[in-house]
Amino acid sequence: MPELLEIEKLSAGYGPLRVLHEIDMTVRAGERLGLVGLNGHGKTTLIRALTHMSGWQQGSIKLDGKEIGGARSLGAGRRTPGLVRMGIGVAPQGDAIFPGLSVRKHLECGAFSKLAWRERKGRIDRIFDIFPPLRPLEHALVGKLSGGERRMVSIGRMLMTEARLYLIDEPSLGLAPKISHRVMEALWDLPVEGAMIIAEQNVALLTGRADRMIGMHAGRLRGDVGHVALN
Amino acid sequence: MDLGLIIYALNLSAIYALMAIGISILWSSVGIINMAHGATFAVSGYAAWLVTGVMKPVIADILGNGGLATFAMAGTLVGSALVAGALCGVVIYLLAFLPIHDKPNFQVRALIVTLGLNIAAVQGLLWTFGPRNQGLPKIFGFGRWEVWGTKIRYDQAGTIIGAAIIMTLTLAWLRYSRRGLEVRAMMQNAEGAAYSGISRQVTALPVLMLTGALAGMAAALLSQTIFVSPTAGVIPLVKGLTIALLGGLGSVPGAMIGALLVGFLEAIVGAIPFLGQRYVMFATFLFIIAVLIIRPRGIGGLLDDTRE
Repeated sequence: MPELLEIEKLSAGYGPLRVLHEIDMTVRAGERLGLVGLNGHGKTTLIRALTHMSGWQQGSIKLDGKEIGGARSLGAGRRTPGLVRMGIGVAPQGDAIFPGLSVRKHLECGAFSKLAWRERKGRIDRIFDIFPPLRPLEHALVGKLSGGERRMVSIGRMLMTEARLYLIDEPSLGLAPKISHRVMEALWDLPVEGAMIIAEQNVALLTGRADRMIGMHAGRLRGDVGHVALN
Repeated sequence: MDLGLIIYALNLSAIYALMAIGISILWSSVGIINMAHGATFAVSGYAAWLVTGVMKPVIADILGNGGLATFAMAGTLVGSALVAGALCGVVIYLLAFLPIHDKPNFQVRALIVTLGLNIAAVQGLLWTFGPRNQGLPKIFGFGRWEVWGTKIRYDQAGTIIGAAIIMTLTLAWLRYSRRGLEVRAMMQNAEGAAYSGISRQVTALPVLMLTGALAGMAAALLSQTIFVSPTAGVIPLVKGLTIALLGGLGSVPGAMIGALLVGFLEAIVGAIPFLGQRYVMFATFLFIIAVLIIRPRGIGGLLDDTRE
């Protein structure tokens, strides 16, 4: 049986800049993977390359044994909707929210499959159970929400349709420590069938909870860094 | 300001709003500044002229000359203009969107391609039909109502009501349907839309057909007041573009308010004795420039929030 995600010799970048250098990586089903590393070392680019959002890329990406990678020099984002529909859920860095839409409309946007659209009422309710602060904000415009609430909306939008692979980019970015802990707790509590990759700078938020931690440095993987003892 | 002037202003506003909303929606969701909008307008007018020309004897044969025949004629005219506009949208999709939508500087390329399409279509119309003006059948009849001592022509009232109905339907579609939600999502954040499984290639087609149909509707309604000619689309295109800019490209309410402001401004300037019709364009552009100096993002001012 093929692994859920197999990456082979994946390179990616923007214009003349090469950010990822021939990355190899596998992710098993049900795994929660922490991707740690400093700013500017390729965490976000790796996550973007998985959905063809990087500037250019080459190398093989297999989702459940099906090839979704390949060489591409232009057209960032062209294949992204198709890959999202194939079962890659993304909560991007910076949230990519729609400022003029309400919280409910955002969550409805995430319900792109026929099944999810039919069940959208129940599913929105489930998201409100996961993130209780969103419930009273149901009809508020997301452009007027705080950073933490936006993050919750962005993750909630990702959770509206089942995915096999969840990619979450810096869930704690720009949030107060208390709120980022709350967001992380909600993430760990999710009943996830597929795998989850969380890119994060703050190792303390992942340690002890992620199944595996992979370090990233200068566009290359540094292997399993293990859990860092923090006291 | 008397009632007749208000009706005239609303009449102008209705046509401008139909054009401006189409341009505005298309720019903010798909990223095309559609210079072929004027060609769509003219082609729709000619299509309505051709179809009504063919259908007139048929309708007269079946339904005679009564009110029912006028009604059928109105349906044919508006329907054919809408369909022709939507088909123009399909052509623009195939020529100005699909081949270039993932190339660098798509917006500039699309602008050039649609400008080329506009010139080609206008020349094609000139070639086929000649420069003569064509009159379309009057679907609202020739009469006028007396309201509080002012005479309102049927075609003016029909234009205002028809445009209001179409715009309400468009806004309802944007607000309540799944496809409309996808369009609004794309208008506000293209990346977020992609991560929500919303494909630009798929969504662009209905948007282009919708905006084309809006131009077709404008052509059908304006044909009740003035004649159809190959270059009939130029003024509506220029007005539509400038009003879309005035409203803040991407803001539908902004475009509507802009159309109302410009419509009333033109009506009032035209009615002031020492200014008159020849100062209408001058006053309009002066107004738009003044607004854009004060509010560079236009009345709606959504542009920077929605497109990064």
